Amino acid sequence: MRISIQHLTKIFPSRTKGGAAVHAVEDMNIEIPSGKLVGLLGPSGCGKSTTLFMLSGLESPSSGQIVFDDQDVTTLAAEKRGIGLVFQNYALYPHMTVRENIRFPLDNMRIKREEGNARALDAARLVQIEDLLDRKPNELSGGQQQRVAIARALVKMPNVLLLDEPLSNLDARLRLQTREEIKRIQRETGITTVFVTHDQEEAMSICDIMVVMKLGVVQQIGEPQHIYDDPNNLFVANFLGTPPINIFKGRIEGGKVYIGDEAVSSTEFADQPVYVGIRPEGYIYDPKGVFTLDVDHIEVMGRDKSVVAIHQSSTKPTVRCIIDSDVALPEGATQLRFNIKPYKMFLFNAESEVRLRVGEEQPVEEDVAVVEEQPTTDQRG
Amino acid sequence: MSFKNKNPRDVEADLVLSDGPQLTRGEKFRRGLRAQSGWLFVAPALILMAVFTFYPIIMAFIHAFQEDYNGANGTYSGWGFSNFVHVVKGDLNRGGADFLQCLVNTLIFTFISVPVSTLLALLISVALNSIKAVQKAYQTILFLPYLTNALAMGAVFATFFTVVGTKSHTETVGIVNLVLGLKDNPINWTDVLSSPKWELGRITIPWANYIVLMVYEVWSGLPFKILILFSALQSINKQYYDAAKVDGASRWTTLWHITAPMVSPQISYLLVTGIMGGMKQYSAVVGIFGEKMGLRYEMGTMVGYIYNYIGEDKYAGLAFAGSLILFVIIMIITWINNKVTKKRTTYR
Repeated sequence: MRISIQHLTKIFPSRTKGGAAVHAVEDMNIEIPSGKLVGLLGPSGCGKSTTLFMLSGLESPSSGQIVFDDQDVTTLAAEKRGIGLVFQNYALYPHMTVRENIRFPLDNMRIKREEGNARALDAARLVQIEDLLDRKPNELSGGQQQRVAIARALVKMPNVLLLDEPLSNLDARLRLQTREEIKRIQRETGITTVFVTHDQEEAMSICDIMVVMKLGVVQQIGEPQHIYDDPNNLFVANFLGTPPINIFKGRIEGGKVYIGDEAVSSTEFADQPVYVGIRPEGYIYDPKGVFTLDVDHIEVMGRDKSVVAIHQSSTKPTVRCIIDSDVALPEGATQLRFNIKPYKMFLFNAESEVRLRVGEEQPVEEDVAVVEEQPTTDQRG
Repeated sequence: MSFKNKNPRDVEADLVLSDGPQLTRGEKFRRGLRAQSGWLFVAPALILMAVFTFYPIIMAFIHAFQEDYNGANGTYSGWGFSNFVHVVKGDLNRGGADFLQCLVNTLIFTFISVPVSTLLALLISVALNSIKAVQKAYQTILFLPYLTNALAMGAVFATFFTVVGTKSHTETVGIVNLVLGLKDNPINWTDVLSSPKWELGRITIPWANYIVLMVYEVWSGLPFKILILFSALQSINKQYYDAAKVDGASRWTTLWHITAPMVSPQISYLLVTGIMGGMKQYSAVVGIFGEKMGLRYEMGTMVGYIYNYIGEDKYAGLAFAGSLILFVIIMIITWINNKVTKKRTTYR
């Protein structure tokens, strides 16, 4: 099922009299090809769950359209959309056994008991809980409950599977395992799947397409690796990657990028104050390098090592550089010099925080205008 | 024991003393007293319960087995089960209450009105829970009967249902007859003599009177049940309803397969307490049908039966035997209730 979201907006009226209405989602445009696994990513309150509930039909949009294949489902009731929804807290009915829980959607479709049981068993097999069918939800672990919830969503063979923070209630190990599981189930069934998460690592690891959101506005849409390598703005660059990107206050002066007094790179952009973002893996140790950092300490991780350093222009207390463990660093050095991989360094306008891109005339003004009037990324891709 | 103002050696001596057998007699006594001090705290309640609960229960037990017990002077002729035999046979009722009639009445009143009013309360609570505007106002209105005196409500009910006047000249036929379109040929709902009835051997069932009582019972039982169920409904996680909606459950399915099971602990509580209360029904019947619960206890209840005989010195034994039987019946019903509801509400 192809999903097309057009100018989708959700405005919640203010709870208090005279207060400002909350724009949970603003003018969202996304095209989701059939059979893809899509992650809605963003910090709490960015509107990603609201978007999911609008897709499910439990919330109705204030304006805009949702189209499944060629059918406009914007006003269609939840039960008629052919979607499966997995809730954050699973919402398994506590008084029903696992089998009854999974079969519940089929019972409502008036499917015969034997066929319902057979299909429930199939769904249970898919998520590997066929041994637990006669248990009650409170006799299951969190991970097992999660699988039951997925089975219940899958049993009616939905066109679209929606998952709200599916991994947030699981412990760290189970989270890793379950996210692989979700990927596997999605591949096996080929169902177009949308899931919501605030964990960028989770989204990066299993998504085909990632949608990064902030305060109800889509910041960037694309393949995870592409967004990581080519962020649209400071927020996206900052949000993706562990450890996070290092951000420095800098400036462009006469075709050179300066951090502090050091020219770290040449550039063709006009003179302006900028933020310079450098990924932790973007540093190359070089005694004659262009960029000097005061070393705080060095963490040896086995496969690689992290130089934790201090720089007065950094926007964070420490700067982290990840380098290969076989690179020999001088013992007890208090200062180290680095060269910077050009494709790991991004420049953002200091005011608008929008990325400076090659080949865009007057990038600053234009991007500011885009953010204010039409805060979507479809033109910038 | 305070160690204050003592030199260390004395403290040590104290500790050795408290080690066991060397305790002085005074110390031993004080400690013993201390261990029993808990009784002091429960004494007020215990004394009241002993006087007003335990003593009457024991005396009822004893008198029930005394033959020809006379309430006026406390004499009896021997021990045995003759009180129980008379109760069941009903051979001493001399125009008073008949045990079998009262038992059947009580069971019918209880087992119809309690389930009906619980079901209605559930439906009303669900409706109340789904409206947002003026919810508080509705809540207040629905709870008002709970604060109203049973006899006063009985009197109001009587005016709704009663026909005043003679057959040839009726003053008023009551609002119920008017609503039912029985203005010309009214049924006198609260009059046992003229009520249409079924005769089943020893038992008479004046069904028009039954309807009045049960309407009253259902209505007066609603407020408390709504209070309990409504608060239970409000604590159900909204996500279950969202899930049910996505799963395509109709309103009906949602009510019976999601809502009702979620509040089943409260429902079973209401059924158990409702049935216990119903078995002890008394005041409403008196309020509507008068002190004699009809002409001669056609609308009588178990408690009515007991009350009828406790005042008759010569037959007080019947009252004691009757109350023991009521006690056993309530116990059996409660035991069955527990068995059934435990099976139905296992998830908590």
